[in-house]
Amino acid sequence: MADSSVKLETPHELVRPALVDHGRSIQWVTENVSNIVESSTPKWWLLSFCITSPIALMGLICIVYQISNGVGVWGENHPNGWAWDITNFVFWIGIGHAGTLISAVLFLTRQKWRTSINRAAEAMTLFAVVCAGIFPAIHVGRVWYAWFLAPIPNTNAIWPNFRSPLLWDVFAVSTYFSVSVLFWFVGLIPDLATLRDRAKSRVAQIIYGVLALGWRGGNRQWRHYEMAYLLLAGLSTPLVLSVHSIVSFDFATSIMPGWHTTIFPPYFVAGAIFGGFAMVLTIMLPAARIFPQINDMITRNHVDKMAKIILLTGSIVGYAYLMELFVAWYGANKFEGFTFFTARANIDGKGWYQWAYWIMMFCNVISPQIFWFKKMRTNYVVVFVVCQFVNVGMWFERFTIIVTSLAQDFLPSSWGHYSPSTTEILTFVGTFGIFLSLFLLFMRFLPMIAISEVKGVTPEADPHNHHLKH
Amino acid sequence: MSHSTESSNLTAEQFDPAVGKKLSSISFAVSALGLLISAFGLFASREQFAFSWLFGFMLIFTLCVGALFWTILHHATDSEWGILVRRQMENVASIIPALSVFFLPLLLLCAPILWKWWEKSPGADPLLDAKAAYLNHTFFTIRYVLFFVGLGGVATVLARRSIAQDKDGAPEHTYVMRNAAIIGLPVLGVCLTFAAVDWLMGLDYNWFSTMWGVYIFAGTAGSSMALLVLIVTGLRNAGYLKAVNVEHYHVMGKFMLAFTVFWAYIGYSQYMLIWYANIPEETIYFKIRNTESWHYLSTFLVVGRFFIPFPFLLFQSTKKKPKVLCGVAAWMIGMQILDLYVIVLPSLHQTGISPSVFDIASIAAVGGAAAGLYFRRLSASCLFPKRDPRLAGSVNLHN
Repeated sequence: MADSSVKLETPHELVRPALVDHGRSIQWVTENVSNIVESSTPKWWLLSFCITSPIALMGLICIVYQISNGVGVWGENHPNGWAWDITNFVFWIGIGHAGTLISAVLFLTRQKWRTSINRAAEAMTLFAVVCAGIFPAIHVGRVWYAWFLAPIPNTNAIWPNFRSPLLWDVFAVSTYFSVSVLFWFVGLIPDLATLRDRAKSRVAQIIYGVLALGWRGGNRQWRHYEMAYLLLAGLSTPLVLSVHSIVSFDFATSIMPGWHTTIFPPYFVAGAIFGGFAMVLTIMLPAARIFPQINDMITRNHVDKMAKIILLTGSIVGYAYLMELFVAWYGANKFEGFTFFTARANIDGKGWYQWAYWIMMFCNVISPQIFWFKKMRTNYVVVFVVCQFVNVGMWFERFTIIVTSLAQDFLPSSWGHYSPSTTEILTFVGTFGIFLSLFLLFMRFLPMIAISEVKGVTPEADPHNHHLKH
Repeated sequence: MSHSTESSNLTAEQFDPAVGKKLSSISFAVSALGLLISAFGLFASREQFAFSWLFGFMLIFTLCVGALFWTILHHATDSEWGILVRRQMENVASIIPALSVFFLPLLLLCAPILWKWWEKSPGADPLLDAKAAYLNHTFFTIRYVLFFVGLGGVATVLARRSIAQDKDGAPEHTYVMRNAAIIGLPVLGVCLTFAAVDWLMGLDYNWFSTMWGVYIFAGTAGSSMALLVLIVTGLRNAGYLKAVNVEHYHVMGKFMLAFTVFWAYIGYSQYMLIWYANIPEETIYFKIRNTESWHYLSTFLVVGRFFIPFPFLLFQSTKKKPKVLCGVAAWMIGMQILDLYVIVLPSLHQTGISPSVFDIASIAAVGGAAAGLYFRRLSASCLFPKRDPRLAGSVNLHN
């Protein structure tokens, strides 16, 4: 049966690009990532923080104003009981998916390119979830009763409605947040120890020292650390899927046309990853411009791969949009047909929100198709522009789902236009301030690239590395 | 110009043609027997034949399309772990064009029995009239042709290029296969979705679910990976593919786990959303399958397709034991059979399970012919892509 021996050769053109460019050494990685934290505060950082923190404060003031005066200060009114509040919630929670996907799913699938982007993506996840959590809490109106949503035993006679997907949301999001924080922190430990060991001030030594939990980098510690990381990755993976699936249940369990459709769970998850990756690139591309040294760690190859994921998930989202349209027609249900073809696509001129629907379609389905071409995937300007389209498109997706179904529902006599109030708009703008301020703080005080993990993919760490042989 | 060359003890392997011919003949004989019994059914009980044949056809169709999915995924992601086992996926996927013949009895002889819309005249049902642009004889037939041209075309290109690379080892083949796979991905998505809509969802033209295509895909991909595990183990037991080691089993097991969970996720989401909203036009699908004796099979499907394989597939140690993994793989294929049985047959026997010899005969007929074609292909080329430029990565795989 055997006829000849097989040569195992890899032609030059198929050799995979290095994950760290210019053959950077382990020491170089430590120096260049730590320097971002250790150097004196740059002017651009102070200027940025002076812009984002007042925006965050404005958002907080709007929230206090809304709590003091009630939800009447928003534009929501019958029949639009939900509008920007839940749109913003789903928008932010969606963005909060990429971090854990990169950290957990790509870790389990042995995608080593994740190492240089996972830390910042995880941080982004946490800050996005913080922004997301604000909206459901304050939209309940009497926010001091929001604790009814907690899983309180029925013996306390509070009787939370365990059959309500809104309640499941609270469980899912809070679990996701807790595990994501834990995962992020566990990943940080070796790098916190690096910062501790390099710290020049006593205060920094103590703070990083306490946070590093006595890390010494011994063999036993690494073994325990890696097992913990693997287990957390295993736990996080179903959480990534569950959170947005449950968010989709908020809509899909109802019988509202345009909300009740069975494809919602995977479609929401794909959309979340899609939007999350766009936000990761939105943040990382300017960061790579500000800190040129990280371009050797976040290379064009990384951007290319992330653009591919955006193309894939954007196409899955496109598949879901088209399946919804197909079944809205195939199902021959007049109300479903009206929601999709009139209220949203406006093929007969009677819909109100066709602009939102077609912005969504263009941004989420059409614009990422440019990523079929490698030249476009590796052009940072193009990638950044497309990511902005995706950010806009994903917000409009949630707006389209929520508002078009409610504004023009079953009974024309109960239809009602929706427009947001100033408080509502400023609250949403404020969450961007919160998000960016938190991210700036993160960049300033913690290593934005996972030093220990990137070290593992440097040429030096490869026992078969050809450079070392010379 | 080569970057690196490693010497290896790996030798190109050719399946013994004599054994291949013998196995092929046995498979065709099984198919002939199945065809004979099914032909009897065609005259004795055409209704039963129609549903049984659709069930058997869909089983083999999904296994082959699943193999095409894994081949496509392999190329599209520029993967290397599975090169040693990829040829077997290509061989299974190459059967797709031939399967088009096995659909003809349904299209030509049984369409009005299976798909009730087929014979309804315009005006008989306003709901049907609304979707007549999709559900009509001409478009249905065109779609059938397009499905096989699309899926078969991609499978053929990938298989031919792979074999061509065996001869010259040119990296250009890798690029062509990658591009074909990237184009093939949406082709597969569209074809499998609408094949599922036409042939299965169309059993009740009033019923619909946007998740349906994804649900069928979930079962398809998982069971096909299970089939690959069984094929590879069979070849290893026959003395071939010794380069395939526990690391490869580990990866295949991980994919089986992923799709076991994915199937459960999709199945649960679809069921829960329909149950929760409780709209009669949607619940009708589960109402039939959750009443009478069908209820037992539906419940067993949930337990058998998720809860039983899940703990076995969760642990690395079990995934690295070929015998255990083979047991789980065989179970998963059994669950794919059960899943399709519960999808198709309740449309005929609405009052409860009614097993028929034609159910088995159809699997024997279509499956036997598919196996016969597979064994023919098996000895026609090397058992793995011997000059794939990334072969070293697969041979030296470490998880």
